[in-house]
Amino acid sequence: MGVFEKTIPPGYAPVSEAEVGSARQRFWYPYVLIAPTMITLVVVALIPFIFTIYLSFHQMDFAQVGRFSGITHYKVLLSNTAFWHSVWVTTIFIAIVVPIEFALGLLGALLLHQKIKFRKVVLPLLFVPTMMAPVVVAILWKIMLAGSWGLLSYNILERLKIISEISVFGSKELALYGIIFVDIWEWTPFMAIAFFAGLQSLPMNPYRAAAVDGATPLQIFFRLTLPLMAPLMAVIGLLRFIDAFRIFDTVFLLTSGGPGSATETVSIFTYKRVFNFWDMGVATATAVVIWILFFIFCNVFYQIAQKKLKAF
Amino acid sequence: MFSEKQRQLTYNFLVWAYVLVALFPVLWMVSMAFKPQNVMFSIPTVWFFWPTLGNFTYVLEQGFIRNIGTSLIVSCISTVLVVIVGTPAAYAFARFRIWRSNDLFLFILATRMAPPVAMVIPFYLIYAKVGILGSYTGLILAYLTFNLSFYVWVLRSFCRETPIELEEAAMADGYSRWQVLVKIVLPLLRPGIIATSVLCFIFTWNEFIYAFMLGGKKVETIPTVIPHFITAQGVRWGELSIVGMVALLPVLVVVFLLQRHIVRGLTMGAVKG
Repeated sequence: MGVFEKTIPPGYAPVSEAEVGSARQRFWYPYVLIAPTMITLVVVALIPFIFTIYLSFHQMDFAQVGRFSGITHYKVLLSNTAFWHSVWVTTIFIAIVVPIEFALGLLGALLLHQKIKFRKVVLPLLFVPTMMAPVVVAILWKIMLAGSWGLLSYNILERLKIISEISVFGSKELALYGIIFVDIWEWTPFMAIAFFAGLQSLPMNPYRAAAVDGATPLQIFFRLTLPLMAPLMAVIGLLRFIDAFRIFDTVFLLTSGGPGSATETVSIFTYKRVFNFWDMGVATATAVVIWILFFIFCNVFYQIAQKKLKAF
Repeated sequence: MFSEKQRQLTYNFLVWAYVLVALFPVLWMVSMAFKPQNVMFSIPTVWFFWPTLGNFTYVLEQGFIRNIGTSLIVSCISTVLVVIVGTPAAYAFARFRIWRSNDLFLFILATRMAPPVAMVIPFYLIYAKVGILGSYTGLILAYLTFNLSFYVWVLRSFCRETPIELEEAAMADGYSRWQVLVKIVLPLLRPGIIATSVLCFIFTWNEFIYAFMLGGKKVETIPTVIPHFITAQGVRWGELSIVGMVALLPVLVVVFLLQRHIVRGLTMGAVKG
């Protein structure tokens, strides 16, 4: 495929040999540059994480570390129906939210790509939902969908007799869909603007060639635009997937995992273990289990995306 | 089928419809900030009312100004640190063949993968032992986790995009490596640095969990104040709306001014051209 032909990506090869400094100096230079970052991350991310693993193997008495307890916590965790329920809830959430945001974002990007008047004003305005603090988004939608006096709940849902008398977030069946709706509202702009930036930076020449060859718009989209956008879509898709899994703020303030455990995502489950049950052991075990699952998934995804799509 | 003009009109209309969907809830919240109590919960909804500043007094009484200051301090210092530490690393990852750079990079990505709720536990325990619980240092340190990884990740793509010829020319002219970095590369990277650091600032400004758990009583950023307005007597919606508004304003201004850079930052250089 001609569009993927590249030799070495510009800027990726080391600078040519017209260099100063001794050979030893040249060797250490990059490591000196990355050292502060690596040291910081080891201290701030790796050590706490190793500590988490350590904790997951010990009895925890409130905040005191107790005796070694082997894999007890893991056994308890993996046999806990609440845990699997939270995994299920999170999976449904991601399975619905990410594709919809992806599709709507792509549509939005294509739309923005046309000749839109005042685009410079439109973009920041569109970005507002993503830029707001998730906790504020939660408050906002609590206002809009509140029981009987929320703007949307009263005017639309009740008047049109779709749903009456109940709050979206107070109903077992609807709460998760409420959360899904809020998340879509919040993150579609991010996808749209990211994809839009991608569309804007596509090279023009393939398109000119396609026009000369008489390709239809549909053909252009599927055979030209999509493959060219694939690396960006992989990166953004992965990013959204990871973030959707970690969702906490919005759910916490909107439903706290309720009613019952209808919206209890993995993050909320972990939070409840820590603050309702003081079960640090299970909470840390959850963190480790989830992280391992994620790491495997991301590794696989990273390898595939790198080889097939040259995304990273 | 449809004329060109009709299509353009439809597109414009659709875009503005989308803007409406995105903005309307926000505007409604802003209106709630100025609504007097007796009108706030009325059914059917009241659209026009005399605005009031009553909600503001309560918010200010709670010492909200201090929260704004705290948020500013934490976000600014955190962002500055991230830029100082992360820029050289991003440059190095982009330009040099580092031993196992892929693994190191995956490590950086991995630091973002654990749910923050879980990561708070070790932080809380360690901080309690060391004694920096509820301190600015502790919170800023915690924010370095995801901000640094994000910053290096995105900036590396920017670095890859900048042409290397300028650096080669400078080296041939006798500049040392450090001079090349400071005099040539940094100015070139400026839009990328601005875009990414702004995003980091926004993430820090909006962050809730770490601030809530690790900030304690002394370091209360704006998001942590929000649960305080959900009292046992009920939710103080008017005041909450004010907090939401204040939380949103700086972000909005910054995004508006730097939108071109931010849009570029989001591409992460993944699409070449």
